[in-house]
Amino acid sequence: MMGAGVLLARRNLGRDRVRLAASVGGIALALSLTLALDAIYAGVANQLTTYIERSGADVWVAQAGVRNLHMVASALPASVVDAVRAIDGVATITPILEATDTIAAGEERAVAYVIGLPAGAAAGGPWDIAEGSAQVGPGEIIVDRGFARTAGVALGGTVEVLGGQARIVGLSSGTASLVNTVAFVSFGDFRAMRGGAAVISFALVTVAPGASADGVAAAIERRVPGVTAQSRADFMAQERRIVTDMSADVIAIMSIVGFVVALAVVALTVYVATLARRRDYGVLKALGARNRVLYRVVLAQAAISVAAGLAVGLGFTASLSILVGWTDLDLQLAITASSVEKVAVFAAVIAGLAAILPIRQIGGVDPAIVFRRGAPA
Amino acid sequence: MTELTLDVRDISKRFGDGETGVLAVRDVSLAIEPGEIVLIMGPSGSGKTTLLSMMGALLRPTSGSIHLDGMPISMMSEDRLPDIRLRQIGFIFQDFNLLSALTTLENVSVVAELAGVKGRAARGRAQALLSDLGLGERLDFLPEKLSGGEKQRVAIARALVNDPPLILADEPTANLDSKIGHEIMRLLRAVAKQEGRSVVIVSHDERIRDIADRVLWLEDGALRDIVTMATDPVCGMAIERERAVSAARDGETWYFCSRGCRAEYLGGPTAEAVIEGPAGDRQAADRER
Repeated sequence: MMGAGVLLARRNLGRDRVRLAASVGGIALALSLTLALDAIYAGVANQLTTYIERSGADVWVAQAGVRNLHMVASALPASVVDAVRAIDGVATITPILEATDTIAAGEERAVAYVIGLPAGAAAGGPWDIAEGSAQVGPGEIIVDRGFARTAGVALGGTVEVLGGQARIVGLSSGTASLVNTVAFVSFGDFRAMRGGAAVISFALVTVAPGASADGVAAAIERRVPGVTAQSRADFMAQERRIVTDMSADVIAIMSIVGFVVALAVVALTVYVATLARRRDYGVLKALGARNRVLYRVVLAQAAISVAAGLAVGLGFTASLSILVGWTDLDLQLAITASSVEKVAVFAAVIAGLAAILPIRQIGGVDPAIVFRRGAPA
Repeated sequence: MTELTLDVRDISKRFGDGETGVLAVRDVSLAIEPGEIVLIMGPSGSGKTTLLSMMGALLRPTSGSIHLDGMPISMMSEDRLPDIRLRQIGFIFQDFNLLSALTTLENVSVVAELAGVKGRAARGRAQALLSDLGLGERLDFLPEKLSGGEKQRVAIARALVNDPPLILADEPTANLDSKIGHEIMRLLRAVAKQEGRSVVIVSHDERIRDIADRVLWLEDGALRDIVTMATDPVCGMAIERERAVSAARDGETWYFCSRGCRAEYLGGPTAEAVIEGPAGDRQAADRER
């Protein structure tokens, strides 16, 4: 009987392809709204955590209570470096200075994580150099290649940073996001620009072979007072949470809009399709089909429409993410499994709700409609 | 005693209450045997469709009882009636009522599937029936691509697919031309006589008298007259028994359209007796004049 229901649903949908296309298209666009927005925020989160991920550090040591990089300041005494180095499992330690600042070149300005990097740093430096050097000395800076292109500067050009000026010695790749970029200056310059205090922002630790990042982080927190130490994974998760928290309301609102639009589209098309086949349902009832079989037909119609809409919406969003990747935009669309899961649940709820009205309509169809003249098949 | 397929006893149907109420069917009784074809005729608004709906378990009588194959369908709960309609009754409609989105094959197989037959078996059963009815080349056609006669044959296949003992047909020839109408009548007769199903036909079409075993006249919701049909063994004409001349031979009564046919018939082996009904006498005399 399940087969009969699905067959009828497929045929009913297939017989009116224009209506089906409109329905699937409407659902796809509505669901894409949520999917694309989720993907944009996931992309931003990915971009924001790229520096942490690619820094080469296994453990991030910060001022006590500081658990992420974005929109926070961390200040540790330089003596922390020696204290951390003495802990078992620590292979290397790189102190960095970090501040969120605006870098400028010509008319172009960009918010940047400015990283003060010691010479020969084992971690924390640029991971992909497109042009020039990966090492920064006094008076030098490495900026993202996209920023340089937009600003119209090249190697040897000048960038304003931390209230001074630095000469571009390297152009990095993959260090820009929708919200900011990463620029690298020498540790000494950074410290001097900040008044020369013996502080650092973070200590980046690599662990020795056989040691676990979580174990080393726990040991650091136990033995070094006034610090918070997290594994790279934990630090990234905290950074992502910032983005999620900031975007939650926007995503919720857009998801509700998408949900309502998709629901309206599916409900309307399934209702109209049911209305158009009212007599068919009467015939089936007269022939002995139970109401629940007919309800299944309507539900299957809604489910097929929504599933097709979801598939098209996913395809559309995936295509969009590829297209965006081909542009110069510092934007990344990352379609995550959890986002697809969420939208699929949305879609299932939409299908169920959209079927309610047509099901009520079918429930009221009198099977004796078969004896009324005027609708030959 | 033969077990009845359909046993309708004193059924009435009233729509509405009080002064505005309408008694659509009043005290109708009817017994139909397996393999019997009963034609119900009557003017528009006489209650034919209401009666058919009640016999088809689509409408509950206000009073009286209906038994189908011994089951009291008029007393059954609403929940059980769809199953009765699905397995015990085959419906044929004037407007064919095929599902426009389904192919010929699917229109038939879907009804078998509703009765619990699995997909492939349902399709096999539907295909065999449709091929028997000459539609083997039309299996994948949508109803809109079929002629009226083909649509009605699909409807007949659909009515038969769950092997019901009772077929209810509502004006089955009304939308068909004369030739196709005859073809459908022939099919319905075969359904009754070869497969032992009871067939109840509601129609205005006088031609259907030719295949009916009995003709009932419904007027103002009540059966006014009952005519039993017979076939003249000499000329093959369908005749009303009550108005025919008859003869008994070899323990069986035979009915003739005229004295001439009877004489021709009796010219063979010796008859045991000759019975002439008064109506038959009058009609035969009229014809001979």
